[in-house]
Amino acid sequence: MARIEADDLRKVFRRPDKGPGLAGSLRHLVERRYTEKAAVDGISLRVEAGEAVAYVGPNGAGKSTTIKLLTGILVPTSGEVRVNGIVPHRHRVENARGIGVVFGQRTSLWWDLPVRDSFELLRDMHGLGAAEYRTNLDRLVETLGIADLLSSTARRLSLGQRMRADLAAALLHDPPIVYLDEPTIGLDIEVKDRLRTFLRQVVADGTTLILTTHDLGDIEDVCSRLVIIDQGRILHDGGLRQVIETYARERVMHVDLAARPASLAGIAARLTGATVTEERDGLGVAVAFDPLAHTAGDVLTALQAEVDVVDLRIEEPAIEDVVRRMYAGQLVAGPDERPAP
Amino acid sequence: MRRNLFLYRRCLGAQLRATLEYEGDFWIMSVAALVTQGMGFVFLWAIFRAIPQINGWRFWDVVLIYSLVALTEGIAVLLAQGAWSMAVTVNLGGLDTVLVRPFSPLLQVLSSQIGMNGLGNLVLGGSLFVAALVHVDATWTPVRIATAALVFACAPLVKIGLNILTNCSAFWLKTPWSMFPFAFHTLGELARYPISIYGIGVRLVLSLVLPYAFMSYFPATAVLSLGDAPWLGLLTPVAAVWCLLLGRWAFHRGLSRYESSGS
Amino acid sequence: MTTAVTATGAVPLGRLRREARTYRALGRAAFRSLVAYQTSFLFGLLATTLAAVAMLYLWRSVLAAGTVNGFDWPTMKAYLLVAFVAGSLVSSYVDYRMAGRIQQGDVAMDLVRPVDYQRSRFAEALGFGGYELGTGLVVAAAAAAVFGGVPAPARSSLGLFVVSAALVLPLRFGIVYVSALVVFWTRNYVGVQSARIALVTLFSGGLVPLAFFPGWLQGLAAALPFAGMASTPALLYVGGLAGAAAWRAVAVQAAWTVGLWWLGRAMWRGASRQLTVHGG
Repeated sequence: MARIEADDLRKVFRRPDKGPGLAGSLRHLVERRYTEKAAVDGISLRVEAGEAVAYVGPNGAGKSTTIKLLTGILVPTSGEVRVNGIVPHRHRVENARGIGVVFGQRTSLWWDLPVRDSFELLRDMHGLGAAEYRTNLDRLVETLGIADLLSSTARRLSLGQRMRADLAAALLHDPPIVYLDEPTIGLDIEVKDRLRTFLRQVVADGTTLILTTHDLGDIEDVCSRLVIIDQGRILHDGGLRQVIETYARERVMHVDLAARPASLAGIAARLTGATVTEERDGLGVAVAFDPLAHTAGDVLTALQAEVDVVDLRIEEPAIEDVVRRMYAGQLVAGPDERPAP
Repeated sequence: MRRNLFLYRRCLGAQLRATLEYEGDFWIMSVAALVTQGMGFVFLWAIFRAIPQINGWRFWDVVLIYSLVALTEGIAVLLAQGAWSMAVTVNLGGLDTVLVRPFSPLLQVLSSQIGMNGLGNLVLGGSLFVAALVHVDATWTPVRIATAALVFACAPLVKIGLNILTNCSAFWLKTPWSMFPFAFHTLGELARYPISIYGIGVRLVLSLVLPYAFMSYFPATAVLSLGDAPWLGLLTPVAAVWCLLLGRWAFHRGLSRYESSGS
Repeated sequence: MTTAVTATGAVPLGRLRREARTYRALGRAAFRSLVAYQTSFLFGLLATTLAAVAMLYLWRSVLAAGTVNGFDWPTMKAYLLVAFVAGSLVSSYVDYRMAGRIQQGDVAMDLVRPVDYQRSRFAEALGFGGYELGTGLVVAAAAAAVFGGVPAPARSSLGLFVVSAALVLPLRFGIVYVSALVVFWTRNYVGVQSARIALVTLFSGGLVPLAFFPGWLQGLAAALPFAGMASTPALLYVGGLAGAAAWRAVAVQAAWTVGLWWLGRAMWRGASRQLTVHGG
């Protein structure tokens, strides 16, 4: 039996449709009109134990709503969901024992309490023995590097610190399933890297992981399966490598130059297959390249051989681009592909 | 059940520490509560200087009812103030983390706050309550004492249940303000006086629709054997259970239509 | 920001005229905001209405046997309703908004605005007051209807009643303003205010006419500013104050109105000095 089974899940939100101004409010009192929006519109999903799934989509696609349906926070309008064999929203307390959740945009710690106190409250709620708690806590404190945070109150933590503490809180009871909803949002590169390393370890330990994000970098080394969702429906459910290689392959390096180059032909010659364009009235160059053909280092070397580079920036493809290209182009063959909408 | 009590105590205890951090506020609020309840007592005293009784209720009888309201308020504020945080928790996204912890969501919400004015209410309400018990005209037989213990212990549960019920409006009104349940709280303030002074409509509302009268008036009538139907006071435990069940039912109905916030 | 002020605190007329436009705008905005946040305001109004209804029922029972301390039921009805309308003025957001801004440090911005802080708050109170008065009168009329009507005002003290009624808003503003400024020093608002409200309501005669207090307490209450908030206008309405006593009461009311205004100015100067010296 799969750890997570979702069958044709739908979640429809009703919003009152009020006209503008006082007249609109009055009319609404008499005649109620609603607009309905299906945030999740027929999602079916099966996740086996130990899988690491990336759940990706643009803003408003329905990622968070799906997670909330799977964790029992929301009750589905129709469809069924079973996690660890039980229906989450009907048995919330029991379901909570078997999962860990991290919400990127809000903390799961008690706001006014020291972090350590939050952990101890969670220990009591999960019924962890003293020895088990000690072991788990020590391990998490070390891997996440939060020893000096333990006595701070949650409200005083920076975003990166809070995220690490939230992760510890979610994993304290060693749950078989962990949901991470936008865990790296707002974090800087260094912290993101540490988090991704940590997640790799979590997956290696056999935990089932569902990770929502709209940052492709979050998932590249952590997950093997990619589910793409847009407008409440799954667009793709399958291997991660192929999607990246087909739709998210191109990187663009933008460099600022000290002086206008005579010609760009030299650069183009050194990087076969790359597209070199002039920018900023000649004071910049953009190189669109395939990272499998040339590393960023190669590109920089080629540039520096020809011109004087003052500054550089690398642009990565956004999930929105991937989705757009999927609509426009063809689907990649993967183990569990879904037909295009 | 024992686990629930243990966890509830743990959560309240954690909140207490956090609350006591705001030490200055704590003392000001406690004194403020003392003053507020005290002024009500002075008001009653001023009236009863001029007249011997109202509808058959004498000064200390009325003080008993009045002090019960203060006392139940103090207990509710110390033990279940979290109900008043529902508007914010439910509508500003705080309920999500509550729902994925292995402890009853309702109990988590209730134990999430301790009111700083609870101590003041308790001290003054308690003192007035004891003073009233000493001064009322009643022979303290074992039966009367047992009745008193039962109904006075159940009285705060009526208030707590009604607090939960009215605060669950947060699930329907979807604003982060508690004005709606606050209006009902002020309705409950009417139960500070013998409800026999009110018109029949008000009396029915306070006895049947939103039985605030069971947190003060009816328990007092049962113990003092006053009023038209003192035996009604013996229904206080029933009213307490009823209010708590209503509150819990409203909370679960609210959860089933909870929509969270954000994407 | 200090404006050029003469020794007695008077401000040149020209500037006042120019500032008047700002104050009018503030007042209008305050009125409109109450209309926009009507639900919130009406719930608050419901709370005070319930309290007033409880009082009416209570006093009806108290006076069922006959007149007490010179009050019979019709007189008490009128007294309580006038006290209710008076009590509903300056009861809304002025103090909460002020205190909120002080607690969060936004008041630093108010310090650098080129309009007088106190007069601006007063303009807002006037704006709110229009709305409060309207709704208060409607509720009072409904309550009067339910409880069997209310006697007309006493002819003999009608003139003084009108003066006293007009002083209620500025007097209440003074008390509310001064107690809101206390936040500068105590940092806590809700507690201080609930204590203030309880004390003030009792000593204003809004719950029980001051005649019910023992002699020494009555003397104290007559000297305090709170009597002018409810008791004085209500007593003048029912004819409970006559001759010299009536003039004295109104004089005390007026004196406190002016005194509290100046106290407020002094406190503001002290508070803003503390703010600029010590930081927000």
